[in-house]
Amino acid sequence: MAEVVIRFEDVTKAYRKGGEALVVLDHLDMSVEAGEFLALMGPSGSGKSTILNLIGGLDLPDSGAVWVQGTDVSRLSADALSSFRANHVAYVFQAFNLIPVLTAEENVALPLLLTPLTKAQRREQSRFALEIVGLSDRMDHKPKQLSGGQEQRVAIARAIAMDPTILLCDEPTGDLDRDSADQVLELLARLSSEFGKTIVMVTHDLQASEYASRTVHLDKGVVVDPTIA
Amino acid sequence: MSLSLLARRQAGGHPMRTLLTVGAATVAIFLFCFLRSIVTSLDAAVEASASNRIITGSAVSLFQSLPSAYMGQIEAIEGVESVSRFTWFGGRYQSEENFFAQFGCDPETLMQQYPELLLPDAQKRAWVRDRRGAIIGQGLADQYGWKIGDTIPLIGTIYPRVDGSDWEFTVCGIYRSAKPNLDEVTMYFHWEYMDRVLEEGGSYGPRGTSVFVVKLADGFTGEEVSTAIDAYYSGGPQRTRTQTEAAFQAGFVSMLGNLPTFLGMLGTAVLIAILFGVVNTMTIAARERVRSMGILKSLGFPNRIPVRLYLMESTGIVLLGGGLGMLLANLTQDPLRAAFGTYIPVYHVTQDTYVMAALICIAIGFAAGAWPAWRASRLRAAESIRRGV
Repeated sequence: MAEVVIRFEDVTKAYRKGGEALVVLDHLDMSVEAGEFLALMGPSGSGKSTILNLIGGLDLPDSGAVWVQGTDVSRLSADALSSFRANHVAYVFQAFNLIPVLTAEENVALPLLLTPLTKAQRREQSRFALEIVGLSDRMDHKPKQLSGGQEQRVAIARAIAMDPTILLCDEPTGDLDRDSADQVLELLARLSSEFGKTIVMVTHDLQASEYASRTVHLDKGVVVDPTIA
Repeated sequence: MSLSLLARRQAGGHPMRTLLTVGAATVAIFLFCFLRSIVTSLDAAVEASASNRIITGSAVSLFQSLPSAYMGQIEAIEGVESVSRFTWFGGRYQSEENFFAQFGCDPETLMQQYPELLLPDAQKRAWVRDRRGAIIGQGLADQYGWKIGDTIPLIGTIYPRVDGSDWEFTVCGIYRSAKPNLDEVTMYFHWEYMDRVLEEGGSYGPRGTSVFVVKLADGFTGEEVSTAIDAYYSGGPQRTRTQTEAAFQAGFVSMLGNLPTFLGMLGTAVLIAILFGVVNTMTIAARERVRSMGILKSLGFPNRIPVRLYLMESTGIVLLGGGLGMLLANLTQDPLRAAFGTYIPVYHVTQDTYVMAALICIAIGFAAGAWPAWRASRLRAAESIRRGV
């Protein structure tokens, strides 16, 4: 049995909206094994993105514990969380979220500033990451000069440049056409199968979920398909 | 890839906005240097004044001449080493606009009393020999293109020639000054030449001397000799007012009233205006970069990195603008000194002013970047990415 790298223990999270508490995760228990490609599906407001934010420590649970690689991230200080994110998780967003004033190569090299690597090593590593996503010929292009699919592949290159254990993908194909979406999904599947990355992907797209090794359905903050929870 | 590159790229993301802010900082720091230099240049003459020279003028007004006979009497007072006469000539060169200071004086005593007046020996001897000779400062020579041997025709205003002709002086020497109390835009000529023309009826005008410059003998203070001179003339025929050279120079500055204070206030207002300008730029930039800051945090950058980025950017913008302002202030020293002419003949930008301007740039940069930096450090990554534009 593979190692469990992510575990939610009785996690509850609510947001306040107009004075009312909106519960997005309701005593959630779930786990993800190392090397798994997990798809999270469900209607808007079902808590999918919140799960990603909690795994990466971008948000904190109201109660319960979020264990990632043996660490309860909900108990870490701000600085420890930053360090944890830099070392263990990486995000791929629906809106790509590249820094517009930097080139593809510079965007990929950005998180490497957090490492003790030399400038030359950083360049080598970012070029290697761009090669993996098939964009070696676009490294001097700025985001505006790339197509949506290319932007997302640069974002994936940035995510893998740090060699994280876990990739958190929030609707990575939401803004892409079918062909581009398939290229990105194939890339993610390859990262999971060839490079052993644990991938948690939020998606509304049934076809996208087919690339995953497992799919969890959520509704109103709870897992609705008990057979795969 | 480095953080400073990111800060530079972000500043360059809106080139027009950044250029305008840099331009505003350039103008503001130039104005600061310019205004402060007016004040420091006025003060410099006071600070550089000799402590062994005192100046005797009329107690009534500087425009009132003293009898020339006072010279011998003052020389006889205990504590006086030498006395030199200076009479304000007030001539114009070719037209009313071309005005510079001219004094009738005693060449030998002048050169003995003012070691800061630098003149080659040959030129000194030539001036002493030529009764119509004059020496001019390097600044005047540069401004009018005069050289040794040239004749300078001056229209007498206080001392017009009876036949309507110009006074003519021959340039015997071009002096430099070793201290800011002596400017390089003045002409000195023989007092006796002017007095002889007046005596012979060749010119109208008051006889006498504007001021006597007294060099103190060793062991005497300016205060005791001043008191002795003024006491000697307390019963007339004309009462005198004797002051140290520093007090005499300060008297000219005080004639400007509250100008130094006014210039100081103006300079402060300019700096506050640029602070607001840079704060505005950085606040707009910060609002545009909420998402970018969220991205950095999601990549694992700690809170201090966005803080550092904003401070680097704002300080960089102000330092760039300020550096250009200081360069402009440096390059415009000569033309401004020429434009000020006799009013601020030693105008120059001091090292202190540059250092102060640089410190002000850093302070403004930090102050302008502090607010957006603090805001950025408090943003939560998930919210920044969700809300950001």
